[in-house]
Amino acid sequence: MTALADFYAKHSRLIDQIGVNAILALSLSVSLQAGQLALAQAAFAGIAAYVSAILAMNAHWPLLASIIAAMLVSTVVAALLAFPVRRLRGVFLAIATIGFGEIVRVFANNLKITGGAEGLSGIPNDATTPVIYGALALVAIALFFLSRTKFALAVALVREDEYAARGVGIDVGAIRTLSLALGGAIAGLAGALYAHASFFITPSDFGFPRMEQILVWCVVGGVTSPLGAVLGAALLSILPEAIRFLADYREISNGIILLAVILFAPGGLASLWRRGVVRVRS
Amino acid sequence: MNRIVPALALVAVAALVAPSGAASKGPAAGKNVHVGVIADVTGAAGVYGTPQKNAYELANEDIKSGKIDAGGANLTFDVQDAATDPAQVVNLMQKFMSDGQTPIVLGPTLSGEAFKAFPIAAKAGFPVMGTSTTAEGVTALGATVYRDSLAESQVIPTTVKRSKDKWHYKTAAIIYGDDNAFTKTDGDIFARELKAAGVDVVDTETFHIKDTDFQAALTRIESKHPDVIAIGALFPEATKIIQQAGKLGIKTHMIGGNGLNSPEMYTVAGPSAQGTVVGAAWYSGAKYPSNVDFVKHYTAKYGKGPDQFAAQSYAAAQIVAYLVAHGATTKDEMANSLKGVKVIQTVLGPIGFDGNRDVKSSPVILSIVKGGFTYFH
Amino acid sequence: MIAQQLLNGLFLGAVYALFAVGYTLVFGVLDILNLAHAAIFTAAAFAAFSLALAGWPLPLAFLAAAVLAGLIGILLDRVAFAPLRARNAGTLVPLISSIGVAIIIGAILRGIYGVDEKHFTTGGLDAAPVIHLGMVTFTTVELAIFFSAIVLMLGLSYVLRATTLGRRIRAVAEDRVAAALLGVDLERTIAATFFIASGLGGAAGVLTGLEYNSVTLDMGGPIELKGLAVIILGGMGSVTGAVVGGFILGAVETLAIAYGLSPWRDAIVFGVMFVLLVARPTGLFGKRALRQA
Repeated sequence: MTALADFYAKHSRLIDQIGVNAILALSLSVSLQAGQLALAQAAFAGIAAYVSAILAMNAHWPLLASIIAAMLVSTVVAALLAFPVRRLRGVFLAIATIGFGEIVRVFANNLKITGGAEGLSGIPNDATTPVIYGALALVAIALFFLSRTKFALAVALVREDEYAARGVGIDVGAIRTLSLALGGAIAGLAGALYAHASFFITPSDFGFPRMEQILVWCVVGGVTSPLGAVLGAALLSILPEAIRFLADYREISNGIILLAVILFAPGGLASLWRRGVVRVRS
Repeated sequence: MNRIVPALALVAVAALVAPSGAASKGPAAGKNVHVGVIADVTGAAGVYGTPQKNAYELANEDIKSGKIDAGGANLTFDVQDAATDPAQVVNLMQKFMSDGQTPIVLGPTLSGEAFKAFPIAAKAGFPVMGTSTTAEGVTALGATVYRDSLAESQVIPTTVKRSKDKWHYKTAAIIYGDDNAFTKTDGDIFARELKAAGVDVVDTETFHIKDTDFQAALTRIESKHPDVIAIGALFPEATKIIQQAGKLGIKTHMIGGNGLNSPEMYTVAGPSAQGTVVGAAWYSGAKYPSNVDFVKHYTAKYGKGPDQFAAQSYAAAQIVAYLVAHGATTKDEMANSLKGVKVIQTVLGPIGFDGNRDVKSSPVILSIVKGGFTYFH
Repeated sequence: MIAQQLLNGLFLGAVYALFAVGYTLVFGVLDILNLAHAAIFTAAAFAAFSLALAGWPLPLAFLAAAVLAGLIGILLDRVAFAPLRARNAGTLVPLISSIGVAIIIGAILRGIYGVDEKHFTTGGLDAAPVIHLGMVTFTTVELAIFFSAIVLMLGLSYVLRATTLGRRIRAVAEDRVAAALLGVDLERTIAATFFIASGLGGAAGVLTGLEYNSVTLDMGGPIELKGLAVIILGGMGSVTGAVVGGFILGAVETLAIAYGLSPWRDAIVFGVMFVLLVARPTGLFGKRALRQA
């Protein structure tokens, strides 16, 4: 048992990071499952992180209350964003949402209440491992039950063939708004947890590089698979430490590994898992 | 506890004695001491982390050869790359803290990273020292958090005073980076200090880190005709600001802080940089014995002169070596020894730590000339 | 002052446009957002730096670096996109593989050049004659850069409009399957598209390096995002759109600074883009097929 405790003492921060990243990846996965390349999750997480941190530091709200408030804000923002982008598809939606993320980052950089470029320091460090993984479990369970509903079927149809979906009477706009809002809620949860696990946040924690990272996790894991998203986030979060021994060659190895994995398994790691399952069954 | 008192006594005595170059035999002779260093060797801050790594590698060599006196201990600095990723900084901090053999961690490179990682160390009473993390509030993070890099708040007031005494300016413009903690602090402090000196700030312009075109902002500044322009920028942006100012025909006096402290300023920015006043924590031409050696050997080993990031890292190595030479090899001994430091001779000159664990040292006011700097008179 | 600011905006916009055109070409033909474009932009700048250092005259170094960039583009397609095309992997997966290649290119550049900023010390860049024309000031270098960008974009427009290759590219962009059925060699045409797109991106890199006399590992970062805004402004797949978008972006950015709104400048640029997209969901000149000037 002490070996486990020892391992935890050495790696607890990394373990917490994996948990938060998994939730972030799930927030994007929800959008991708609806066929929406909405790349605003990092911004939603950022908004929630700041709301949660400010409430905790300035108004002394307890952890749970500040997380819920933060999630509410990010959900509302996401739902509102769905309106102007309702006619956007594919890469146009992607770039519009990236643009939204940049606008959020600039605001965070310039407002006094967010600390500007100097960031917010001294956030209570009370998002412990049980809290983070408890949240992850809740999200996973919620998504699992959601996947069994008619909503999930509608989402899948919207992804596969939007015109067919409309033809069957599905309110595509509502589906898109709901999935974006759901993504906003989950991203908000991740963002609030991130703030309470980091002591300090700054606008650059939630910019385009972070969004790119989340996208990589999801695609490497498997675009339409929530399990894939979690796998992708976990493995790629561990990767920098796992290949630290490569020292100066770590940077190029990152690129090579990414390229190799995606070329070998374009459907993502989750697709390998499925392939393996099929082979075992037959 | 019994080893601390003689160690502190030795520290007090040693403070009165000028250091020699030969390695002595201290209480830690023969012991292996492994110090952790977190630096952004790659990634966005790679241009700052790489000189830091270079300085520590040079320090490792100098300890082996006895040029830095570690009291015969086998002291090594283990530099780990955090790739400008805050997650990696935190993980490295945890790794070093829990590996059972690291008594102190130096770095990380950026203040933002320090705000994420130092609280972890502070909670555990683990000593850390920043060598480039100059934002306000860093050392306040904990009683074992030290810093050997002069902050802008310690440098800029003197810069403003000395330049105003010489040039007698009445109006000023400030241009600073608004999306980077270091340059933003610069902008705020310049505004504060200029106002306190009775100077009227007629224009303030901002830019973003990695910007390359400052002509729009400079044109605006020029239209207000300030007597002096204060530049709150790091080296890449500062050189372009100065160069483009010259191109637009702006001949106003310019002043800057630590960010401009690089010997390449004139080479890169061109003749427009001549006479710009820079407030700095270190001068490559300062005649402290270990500094002359350091500059010579760093240049020989790496093909270009050291910058302030390198100097402050090397100084941290000197500080740690000093403490090790006087017997501090565990984290508690290190924390205690740091508390008792009076004066240590480094490439930055003789330094100590004040009540806030910030470095006690005087800024040096320089003037850019072809080939580097001279003292500003 | 406004005249000077507008001129600044014009010069800035020309380079943005040149960079964005490469993005839009690849997207028009392949539906892929090539995130290695900025890395090739940077690699070309370093290549030109090395050649200039070795004594090559600047115009020659510029051309050679652009050609090299084009060749890297072809290699990029072979390594990162073609295998996925063969497996029908969709449009999201190639985005990721392009990120992988971008990381690799960055690591190679760092290995060769180190982290320090590089400068062109040859070709009299430092002493470039400054021209005063009424209320505005600019250097001959800036003028040369501006004209190079214009010439290149006109050249592209000509190629697309009047050459066989151009027709083939437009056919593949319009309908890949139909083009193949009509006998167009898909892989050759795609390779040619990458050569042109990356060559132009590389040219933009060299020009940017010359404009500010600065070549750094991260010089591609800011332009990568702005390039996205440009192609959205102009309309994905439209070369004219990319050009117009580039100039609009340059102007908006410069004017934002001129009116003292510099801290909000990126938000303004993306805000304008956002509003435009909402009004015209496929951009100013947008149509998914490839359009030329």
